[in-house]
Amino acid sequence: MSITIEPVALLPGYRVLDLSSSMGSFCGKVLRDLGMEVIKIEPPGGDAGRLEPPFAKGHAHREGSLRFAYLNGGKKSVTLDIAKDDGRRIFLDLVAKSDVVLETFTPGELAANQLGYAQLLEKQSKLILVSLTGFGQDGPYAHYKAPDIVGNAMGALLYISGDPKMTPCNPPETQAYYYASLMAGYGTMLALWQREMRGIGAWIDGSVQASMALHEHVAFNYAAEKRVMKRAGSQHQHNAPANLFQCKNGWIALFVTQTHWPLLLKVWDNHAPELDDPKWINSNLRRKEADYINAEVTSFTMRFTKEELAELMQKHGIPGLPVNSPSDFMKDPHIQARNFFSQVTHPVLGTYDAPGSFFTVNSKRGGPAPAPLLGQHNHEIFAGELGLSAETLAVLTAEQVI
Amino acid sequence: METPNQILKGVRILAFTTGYAGPYAGRLLANYGAEVIKIESRKGGLDTFRHYGQHKDIDEAPRFIECNLGVRSLAINLKNPTGTRLIRELAGKSDAILQNFRPRVLDKLGLGDEDLRKVNPKLVIVKLPGFGTEGPKSSYGTWGFNLTAFSGITYLWNHPEQDRPIGSQGVYPDHLGFVLGPTMMIAALLNSRRSGKGVTIDLAQIEGTAAVLGTTYLETSVNGDDPKPRGNHYALAAPHGVYRCQGDDRWCVISVRDDDEWRNFCRVVGRGDLVSDRRFTTLQLRVENRAALDAMVSEWTLARPAEEVMTRCQAAGVPASVVQTGADLLKDPQLRHRNYFSAFPDSLIGSFEIPRSGFLFKGVPEDPLKLPARFGSDNDQILGELLGYDKATIEQWRQEEVLT
Repeated sequence: MSITIEPVALLPGYRVLDLSSSMGSFCGKVLRDLGMEVIKIEPPGGDAGRLEPPFAKGHAHREGSLRFAYLNGGKKSVTLDIAKDDGRRIFLDLVAKSDVVLETFTPGELAANQLGYAQLLEKQSKLILVSLTGFGQDGPYAHYKAPDIVGNAMGALLYISGDPKMTPCNPPETQAYYYASLMAGYGTMLALWQREMRGIGAWIDGSVQASMALHEHVAFNYAAEKRVMKRAGSQHQHNAPANLFQCKNGWIALFVTQTHWPLLLKVWDNHAPELDDPKWINSNLRRKEADYINAEVTSFTMRFTKEELAELMQKHGIPGLPVNSPSDFMKDPHIQARNFFSQVTHPVLGTYDAPGSFFTVNSKRGGPAPAPLLGQHNHEIFAGELGLSAETLAVLTAEQVI
Repeated sequence: METPNQILKGVRILAFTTGYAGPYAGRLLANYGAEVIKIESRKGGLDTFRHYGQHKDIDEAPRFIECNLGVRSLAINLKNPTGTRLIRELAGKSDAILQNFRPRVLDKLGLGDEDLRKVNPKLVIVKLPGFGTEGPKSSYGTWGFNLTAFSGITYLWNHPEQDRPIGSQGVYPDHLGFVLGPTMMIAALLNSRRSGKGVTIDLAQIEGTAAVLGTTYLETSVNGDDPKPRGNHYALAAPHGVYRCQGDDRWCVISVRDDDEWRNFCRVVGRGDLVSDRRFTTLQLRVENRAALDAMVSEWTLARPAEEVMTRCQAAGVPASVVQTGADLLKDPQLRHRNYFSAFPDSLIGSFEIPRSGFLFKGVPEDPLKLPARFGSDNDQILGELLGYDKATIEQWRQEEVLT
């Protein structure tokens, strides 16, 4: 059996109105990948995310942001100024025909526009409102500003990331926003289940900080053991060798537990006789003596290329994988065989490979889709769905409502 | 009134899980009311986290407790044909299977998708294997640590001036897996409820990981670039980064994104003169001259506690925060306000608190989380009340080491 690319809508028939900035765009993308119709509602000038780098060919252009392209693939786009009276009325008409509203405004901002949860419920009594903010809807930090790096810092992932000799290092892209988006996505699923079972809506109050603070047992280590996790480079906290090791042409990530240690000694010819001492089976001891163990292991790994060594390790049941560049990953035969990437065509970006859905359904994978152009679906939604006349639309456009 | 913890009440999930991502996925479902029955055996089928740490009792490993809160426990030997028969019977009375074993482990035991669907055609099956169930490397052994490496994240998670890859000491992909798993579980259950048919979800953790590097892959495929580590630099803000503060290994984040934030920041640091400094009048200039800015910012932050930097900047509308440690999290007033920690005053390993989840159901109070059931402690209830076997039979299976 092999994985084929075809539409796999697990949740067809649901509609999401996505008002989110790039804080919540990934949540909307996941909902789209699950088969929901996701309508991005942008201010008439376009979502600010359209001007976030990186850009195609380096040129800042509102249809050229690659981040926007990835996070909004397959969504629809309408332009609507919901702060204006006409815009708000049209928005509420759409709410009446929708299941989920996703938003990332500062707490209280929607309510100040007469679009608070209570007002939305009047239009759609089973509505699921998904609000994602840096810190949640209320509390002492609720109004704190939270770019992605603040989320990583306040959740403690940043503190434990990087070389202890250097400044804490932020992960690539916007991981705090992504992770909080995924958490909000799970909240949306729970709310949807509740709605199907009991016929009621819900207001999900997502927090970037609270999402990130779940990571790496950081809170738990302190709560249960009074241990403050520190930066440790690539060295895992409980195991050795569990680190990156240099090879002829790059690096390999090895993770050797108690089970794998004897297997490693077997494939590692002429290892130091000292290592045959059964005391080394104990992970805690190996971790304690990680400097010694890591130096010995490096003398072994340096004999191979990272690909050769990963294959050798895996053949002997030891979890080893190469440190890939993004393009190494894209070219990997396994990833290719699984059809993870497939082609998308976009009027500005051209034809390119993009990741499909991160899951398969009965061995089928939903393919990627291009992001919508600004206002691409205005006619379809405003005229087709809401029945606004060409005349009305012209007036609304002139008044910069749409 | 029902609390949100009970949303999934009535959903029964059989969990074949070990380690971090799989069990935690089960925990997140159990925390909202699903009945998650974790199936293990002392005959070679114990969750590896039961051996984590110094505790002798397999119910006392802190990691295991953390990842399996609220989960029930059925001890059953899957190498015994009676054991696997009982699992098939149980599948007939369940809604879903959650598993993160290596591909084909369950198939070889007679518990593959087809075997279970013979008993229950509507069964939802969610798998979280490292490399997926199909493809040339599907048999590879993987951990979160080296999945990060394989995806490209490790390579990019670095300062540009560092001379070797660093990445993370942690297991980021496990965190992705344990929230994507339950998300897919409910989506598949909703789908199956509507269609009346079973659904199999293959959620390769490597692909869940790659999903958070999508923009970077587009840089490669659209622009033909091979993106390099960017560390704490960001093209749309300056100052932007992590700055050392007063104290031992204390840091703060500051991110100044537009002219308003810049003016406010200058006021906070008492450098109103910089507003008109020609090197810094636009965002683009500030980004170009960020080295000069960073030196100025560091001088200011070094003389202050990180908490003061955060409160003064945020009060003036400038994004800033403490780079918090585990100890900081436990006393964080915002997390406390959200009732974020669930307390376990009398657990097997003493008193501790644990984070709940990244979201709340607004206005609805939450139940406390529950400890995992002790190993095998649900055997009698599940086999007796659910499957209808009498005490003598169950006792006989215990003697025959079917239940162990």
